[in-house]
Amino acid sequence: MVTIEINGKPVQARPGAMLIEAADEAGITIPRFCYHKKLSVAASCRMCLVEVEKVAKPLPACATPVTEGMKVWTRSPKAISAQRNVMEFLLINHPLDCPICDQGGECDLQEMAMGYGKDVSHFSEGKRVVVSPDIGPLVATDMTRCIHCTRCVRFSDEIAGVTELGAPGRGEHMHIGTYVEKSLSSEVIGNVIDLCPVGALTSKPYRYSARPWELTSHSSVSPHDCVGANLTVDVRGRQVMRVRPRENEEVNEVWLADRDRYSYLALSHAERITAPQVKRDGAWQTVDWNTALTAAAHGLRGVVEKHGAQQIGALAGYGATTEEFYLLQKFMRGLGSDNIDHRLHQIDFSTQGAMPAFPWLGQALADLDNLDAALLVGSNVRKEQPLVALRLRKAARGGARLMAVNPIDYELNFPLTARRIVAPTAMVSELIAIAQALLESGGEAPAGFAALAAGVAVLDEHRAIARHLKDAPQSTVLVGNGVAQHAQQGALQMLAALVARLSGSRFGFLSEGGNSAGAWLAGAVPHRRAGGAAGAAGLDARGMLTAKLNGYVVLHAEPELDCIDGAAARAALQQAECVVALTPYVTDTMRDYADVLLPLALFAETSGTLVNAEGRWQSFTGCTTAPGETRPGWKVLRVLGNLCNLDGFDYEASDEVRRELEAACSAVLPSSKLEWQAPVPAAAGSGLCRIADYPIYAVDGMVRRSAALQQTPDATSGVARLNAATAAQYGVAGAAKVQVVQGGGGCVLPLALDERVPDGCVYVPAGLAATAALGAVDAVVELKAAE
Amino acid sequence: MKTVMRFFKSLFLLELLQGMRVTGRYMFERKITVQYPEERAPLSPRFRGLHAQRRFPNGEERCIACKLCEVVCPALAITIESAQREDGSRRTTRYDIDLTKCIFCGFCEEACPVDAIVETNIYEYHGEQRGDLLMTKDKLLAVGDKYEQQIAADRAADAPYR
Amino acid sequence: MAQANIELLTPASRAEIDTWVAKYPPERKQSAVMAALRIAQDQNGGWLTTELMDAVAGYLEMAPIAVYEVATFYSMYQLEPVGRHKINVCTNISCLLRGSEDVVAHLQQRLGIKLGETTADGRYTLKEVECLGACVNAPVAQIARQYYEQLTPELIDRIIDGLE
Repeated sequence: MVTIEINGKPVQARPGAMLIEAADEAGITIPRFCYHKKLSVAASCRMCLVEVEKVAKPLPACATPVTEGMKVWTRSPKAISAQRNVMEFLLINHPLDCPICDQGGECDLQEMAMGYGKDVSHFSEGKRVVVSPDIGPLVATDMTRCIHCTRCVRFSDEIAGVTELGAPGRGEHMHIGTYVEKSLSSEVIGNVIDLCPVGALTSKPYRYSARPWELTSHSSVSPHDCVGANLTVDVRGRQVMRVRPRENEEVNEVWLADRDRYSYLALSHAERITAPQVKRDGAWQTVDWNTALTAAAHGLRGVVEKHGAQQIGALAGYGATTEEFYLLQKFMRGLGSDNIDHRLHQIDFSTQGAMPAFPWLGQALADLDNLDAALLVGSNVRKEQPLVALRLRKAARGGARLMAVNPIDYELNFPLTARRIVAPTAMVSELIAIAQALLESGGEAPAGFAALAAGVAVLDEHRAIARHLKDAPQSTVLVGNGVAQHAQQGALQMLAALVARLSGSRFGFLSEGGNSAGAWLAGAVPHRRAGGAAGAAGLDARGMLTAKLNGYVVLHAEPELDCIDGAAARAALQQAECVVALTPYVTDTMRDYADVLLPLALFAETSGTLVNAEGRWQSFTGCTTAPGETRPGWKVLRVLGNLCNLDGFDYEASDEVRRELEAACSAVLPSSKLEWQAPVPAAAGSGLCRIADYPIYAVDGMVRRSAALQQTPDATSGVARLNAATAAQYGVAGAAKVQVVQGGGGCVLPLALDERVPDGCVYVPAGLAATAALGAVDAVVELKAAE
Repeated sequence: MKTVMRFFKSLFLLELLQGMRVTGRYMFERKITVQYPEERAPLSPRFRGLHAQRRFPNGEERCIACKLCEVVCPALAITIESAQREDGSRRTTRYDIDLTKCIFCGFCEEACPVDAIVETNIYEYHGEQRGDLLMTKDKLLAVGDKYEQQIAADRAADAPYR
Repeated sequence: MAQANIELLTPASRAEIDTWVAKYPPERKQSAVMAALRIAQDQNGGWLTTELMDAVAGYLEMAPIAVYEVATFYSMYQLEPVGRHKINVCTNISCLLRGSEDVVAHLQQRLGIKLGETTADGRYTLKEVECLGACVNAPVAQIARQYYEQLTPELIDRIIDGLE
């Protein structure tokens, strides 16, 4: 440590640190615009000029490294004069439109101008005006206000990994823009709004709707991915006006994915259901809660009495709170049924018994920054967990070797040292080959592995991946959503865990949805009780649909879209005697199959807990009241329990539920250890293979209904993608649209030729209205050119 | 002696007569009572009466929904909702002043960067129903349109002292 | 990153760019961007299209925006069509003191265009540039790779008459 003196006060600083970092740590404020602790130093705004002993001119604190014995004055007449004069320069071209600027009231420039601005400028010439480009539906631009700090340029280049923003032009004509007008393709671009120190980049959906001083801020947690990003939800009256990141270095640092930031728009979607409804003689009636809950309890108990408890099942969406999962499983098990599952995207449940207590990341999120090597299996991490991708990118910039075994050559925002892009059916043999490559340099093969490895060719690429993993001091193998949704999920997980074990890497799950970990811990799986306790045996999500039960409870899900096998879900629900849907949204499809609709509060409206991939329990309280008669899920389930005369449903607050569950989970230690079960090799499929995933803005009901997100380039209404060779092979090469037929269902989609898709495969996303009619994703796919 | 003086003063109602002398004098002096409503007292251009919203000469409303009047209002009498209008400009979708809350301090007028919300010299208005004294944006603009000449003249007269 | 069509660069251009790329370390291909842009501009009759800049970006494995930044920074890269002869007149202080205003006025009158414009027949483009570094013989203009010094209206007429 070096000792410097700032304003006469001795300060300890890390050698090589910049003056501004030392000052920030000591709590001494130096004004700044372009400096940001997460970005590289540009030293372009000159606002942080300070006086340094024995230096003739003031120096920029953000670009001056500390040296032993340095004496610095940040408030001396010389420093203040420099800062005031810089401020005058910055204001030369800044428009005086604070009254209509959304940044007004929380603007760095406005605040600095109060402290350092002069009321009269020497500059009396006309101000420059810059044309504002349209950079997409999320970020509004007013480039005349820009002071060229280049924070947004540095963010998109360094952090987001999309070099699309730049500073074309020179001198007076320099401006921030894209040169060719286009929507930015990043999934974390909303962060430039927080970074922009002026009102040049502001939120488009929030535009002109509120003032910062009208808003009350509440803390919350994002339910859209397993990072559990910390949010600040700004509310005006009862309406959520915007969402900003809440700094948490261990979780989301200072960033948010656009999905976390803009999903709030769906809180006021027209499809929100605001009062309980009951279907009587085929017609929907709005009723009071008492009637609706009685009808629900009566219906479900009727099924139990008539057909037995095994004839009811519960399907829960990934984003429900842990309390809701816990109460739902308690309710179902109280009625005598273990049929409860949240893994709506999953196809293969063969190794669920071997799973740890919850799908753990295998490490803390912050550990990802310091990785030296990582192997991603079936993961489009950039679109699935955007904030994990930012951490991996950080590791890659630090020299980490990142590798992937993927069914599509996804556009990731970090370079891959090695990649194997193969058809989903070939992913198993890829992992076998990597494991085999590791075994070549020693190690013990587990039982049954030799049989699998027979006939699998080990290529140099496999050896390279194996070597990188093994040589790296800090390495990890992560399985992504592509594995969770894979027809051979069990085999892939086992083999990925084996690769991790053989290479001395940590094994981890990038779990699906916002609260998979919470669901596992709460016992929202058919084979485990709360806290991972054994002693349960029910039908899994897919089994419940194929078994065509007589009664279903649906929580926070639209099974026709959220289940990977949407058509089967719809058919099963339609034939059931009683379907109770606890749902925030209602669609015509849902009205068709449901019998009781109970309106549920969404994440900003209810209290609860989400458990993220690293096993962090994050509780939050409601930020606003839910519309109409809508009630938090835990309250609804509590009363349902009472009405069914079940014991232990006398909670008065959601934290009582949390405490009860925590007691059940007290013995659970985070683990990603999978008990080895030799995978059963699947019969090699023939014909076309469908690659299905949930696009970034189709993962749950909220993001599907966020108007702004649905206008981004990442939103899709469904496109069939296959490479030119495969298209030619199936005779659809020239077609604009194709008919996709699978498992008895069909749909017509636009065709796009995409060389990132491997041979013999067609990419048809799930989770979309356009593809909901298709049958099971593992069934044979047929393609025909359509008119 | 003092007691004697007090006795005579009260006996002849001397203090009452002293008071009546003032009454008598004003009875014959020129009257200064303003015969409202036939007569009006002169008003300062700074008089703070009924609110109005002004327009630019081209008919465009001045208000830009900056909400400074709303935040400065000590009585919380102003309610504003804003949105982007189709032409991209920032406009209010709701602008209410509750005159029953208003204390006519004039801070809203002071805070306004575009001279949109003003207090006119109108002080004769009443309401017969609940809501009559809730000035909506339409009502405020109507007042502004009707009295624009007077409003402009008052501002002009006061301009040198601002 | 958008798929750039590097085929837009002719084989000759690409070969020339390669000679520049060879001067830098292999991981610093982008150092050749200025030369590459000049070569692309010469290939396209003196100006750069967005597609050509994308092609350069693709060829040098850079982000397109980084190429745009370079191309918009330097005034010698033309982003709009130019005439066959680009007349660059220096109007910096030395030339100004020695009468560059008269030179500009004469050229504007002779060609019937203003600074920054191109004649309708596509023969001439008139541009104002900063110091050309030939102050000793001010006023100066540059046409193609040739400097014309100590300009007078008569000299200008002769020069323009000499251009095809």
